[in-house]
Amino acid sequence: MARDAPGGDSCEELDQTKYDADENVKIICLGDSAVGKSKLMERFLLDGFRPQQLSTFALTLYKYTTNVDGKNILVDFWDTAGQERFQSMHASYYHKAHACIMVFDVQRKVTYKNLNNWYKELREFRPEIPCIVVANKIDADMKVTQKSFNFARKFNLPFYFVSAADGTNVVKLFSDAIKLAVAYKQNSGDFMDEVMRELENFELQKKGEDSDKEENYPEEKPPST
Amino acid sequence: MTYVAKKCGIRFQPPSVILIYEDENKDRARQRIMPIRNFSKFSDCSRAAEQLKNNPRHKAYLQGVSLRQLQKLYSLLRGHLQGKSLAQSLEQIQQEETTDPEEDLNKLDDKELAKRKSIMDELFEKNRKKKDDPDFTYNVEVEFPQNEQLESCGWDAESDNEF
Repeated sequence: MARDAPGGDSCEELDQTKYDADENVKIICLGDSAVGKSKLMERFLLDGFRPQQLSTFALTLYKYTTNVDGKNILVDFWDTAGQERFQSMHASYYHKAHACIMVFDVQRKVTYKNLNNWYKELREFRPEIPCIVVANKIDADMKVTQKSFNFARKFNLPFYFVSAADGTNVVKLFSDAIKLAVAYKQNSGDFMDEVMRELENFELQKKGEDSDKEENYPEEKPPST
Repeated sequence: MTYVAKKCGIRFQPPSVILIYEDENKDRARQRIMPIRNFSKFSDCSRAAEQLKNNPRHKAYLQGVSLRQLQKLYSLLRGHLQGKSLAQSLEQIQQEETTDPEEDLNKLDDKELAKRKSIMDELFEKNRKKKDDPDFTYNVEVEFPQNEQLESCGWDAESDNEF
């Protein structure tokens, strides 16, 4: 499970409260070493490629601004910088993520097999966020695109064949991931998110006033019954 | 002045890297012999390759020769100094140049992982469409429909209980 509680002291420098703002989304990349996660990011961002290395967290952040349905959206892509070699990511990596891009290398079976572990860990922390499964390096052997990969179908996840080298479906992958992240955020059905939000509200109110606690207690259900 | 490298090889005795190149201004092939000094069977081939490539006297000529190729040439020389036959050295280089697709790269240390990555990068660079290429398109969309009729990738079969 978690190696540390979300938002624990060890991540003080990493301010993740901004991800609560409507226009900010966080998208995480998962997958084994050398499946091409960073290469995909670089291909998508091209000139706008300016990663922020946070070596203490074995983490690379890529910032990206875009427009979804007429709204400006600031995207933070989280990419690992070797942390995946622990076969597990720090809890703060998953914290407040709105979508996940999960990558394997079509040339290496072990990276496909390990999707199972990555997916399990993802769901421990983020049970509901959209997750896209990505088969990278199809340029190495186009024949693989004629084959079926059941992992995505089994969990009912979107599945893309891509190549960071020749660019096939890279832009589509990232723009779809952003749309999914924004949509998720707008109708966040994530139970944990709601629980967290309620807890935060509850704390604030306790600090504020103690008197009409009953009436102010945040309710999820509509008031009329 | 631009030199176009045509061929690059190694001579064991006396040890030297030999380059056949064309001078863009004169239209004919020339040969450049770069003697190798201070190299023994214990030397580090990648370091030697880097030093040669960055050598101020040879730099301009070696622009078209990859670091990897130079490394390979030094490995051949080192193999020779260790008393190996050419075939043996070549086989060893071949082994170092290919990755084992079954290997779990998550379990390697930084140095070994970097090695595997650089081997894989070669294919990446070969297939890469750069943004300065004339036929570069930013958004390349290709549909690959996944359906039941497709042949299985073979990676699901033995693990039906897993996936």
